[in-house]
Amino acid sequence: MSLWGVAALGGAVGLDATSFPQFMISRPLVAGALTGLLFGQPAAGAMVGAILEIFDLGILPVGAARYPDAGTATVAAVAAYSSVPLHALDPGILLLAVIFGLAWETVTGTSTVWLRRLNERLVLSTPRWHGRPGRALERLHITSMALDLLRGALLTVLGAWLGGLILQPAAGRWLLGSDLAAATLTIATAAVLGALISIFGGWRERRAALITGIACGSLLLLLLR
Amino acid sequence: MTNLGPGLRLRVFLRSFAIQGSWNYRTLVGTGFAFALLPVLRAVHRGNASALRSAVERQATLFNTHPYLSGIALGAVAQLEAEGASPELIERFKAALRGSLGSLGDRLIWAGWRPACMLLALVLLLAGLPWSIAVGTFLLTYNIGHLLLRWWALRTGFRAGRNVAELVRNAGLERLRERITTAATFLLGAALPLLAFRGATAEPVGMSTGALAAVAGLLGLHFGMAVRLPAIAGLTLIVALGFLLGVTR
Repeated sequence: MSLWGVAALGGAVGLDATSFPQFMISRPLVAGALTGLLFGQPAAGAMVGAILEIFDLGILPVGAARYPDAGTATVAAVAAYSSVPLHALDPGILLLAVIFGLAWETVTGTSTVWLRRLNERLVLSTPRWHGRPGRALERLHITSMALDLLRGALLTVLGAWLGGLILQPAAGRWLLGSDLAAATLTIATAAVLGALISIFGGWRERRAALITGIACGSLLLLLLR
Repeated sequence: MTNLGPGLRLRVFLRSFAIQGSWNYRTLVGTGFAFALLPVLRAVHRGNASALRSAVERQATLFNTHPYLSGIALGAVAQLEAEGASPELIERFKAALRGSLGSLGDRLIWAGWRPACMLLALVLLLAGLPWSIAVGTFLLTYNIGHLLLRWWALRTGFRAGRNVAELVRNAGLERLRERITTAATFLLGAALPLLAFRGATAEPVGMSTGALAAVAGLLGLHFGMAVRLPAIAGLTLIVALGFLLGVTR
């Protein structure tokens, strides 16, 4: 898959997160599946995306808080994961791709803060809305959105390249066995999934719904065996 | 008073999707708010360039709102501009709406609707359904709620004008939030045993891993988001060990 495809998807995902239109293609699950689709491995992309999603779902973009930009990082992580030859893909590489995605989202999150500072400068430097009324404002607004698109595209391509540099040489070097990698990921994601209760008010507040859910989930588990 | 017809309302609605396009630490969504309102300002101040310039300037100042509820403020301010309300009144009105719309939207959408829809998708995925069904269900359910809320917000703002605060108070959004949060908690409960005993990867996990994951889930329930960093640190440590052993062998 060409880097142009990754750049286009990364740009769209970066834009969707905050600027336009927030249809949530920027959620890691969706971004991961779409990137996987680009590389002909949608299920693998969705799996990486779902794991990153569980780690990011509890982080809320409230007010002026600084938060990771998980969508573009997921595109980069899945692109890097897909760059490893199929026969060399093992749970160790999956684990490494997840760690890389979590690390890269702090970089992409920092870039969002920089963009917001740049927007601030643009607002200050716009000469009091001179010229045809409203035109300067529209130019400023569209320029900011174009910069966000560019930010997403560049960081995704850079991340995919860097991730590939890390993941490709690691192929075949995972020595702790596929069971341990799968178990580690399952235990860590279970802890973070449970932690989501804090955004719903805590388990004491919501114990009836939580216990009913656990009972239904366990029943479904038995039915699926 | 200028007639704010359906065409004008549709243009404000479409522009409201980009309200956060120039988000910055000085005006927050202020410039985006003015951008979305521009079609109305142009219609109201047609033929009076200096009045239009002043209106754009005062609308582009500090403002914050949840993007999906921005229509409430956009519609109401559009009505005030069309009525020829004084700039001071509009400024006071926007200041009164600023905090409440942001916090209501954050709790209703970011901490309610979005995690509820995503947990539904994760439950489907963990139950073994194809990725396309899980992702499609998320995008469809989430965006039906998203678009309905945006449209309702703008319609309410235009209809109620300066009385919008009372209408929003009586709209039952808090009750709706409570129900969504309860549903999300139920889905979280359902996802936990599925994740613990079916595993986060395509590799099947054994009973001992399932039991450990169940304990980890309980720790997460108890300690909340404080477990996120230790979980990432643990993963990083295992990755380092697994690959360092491979490199040094």
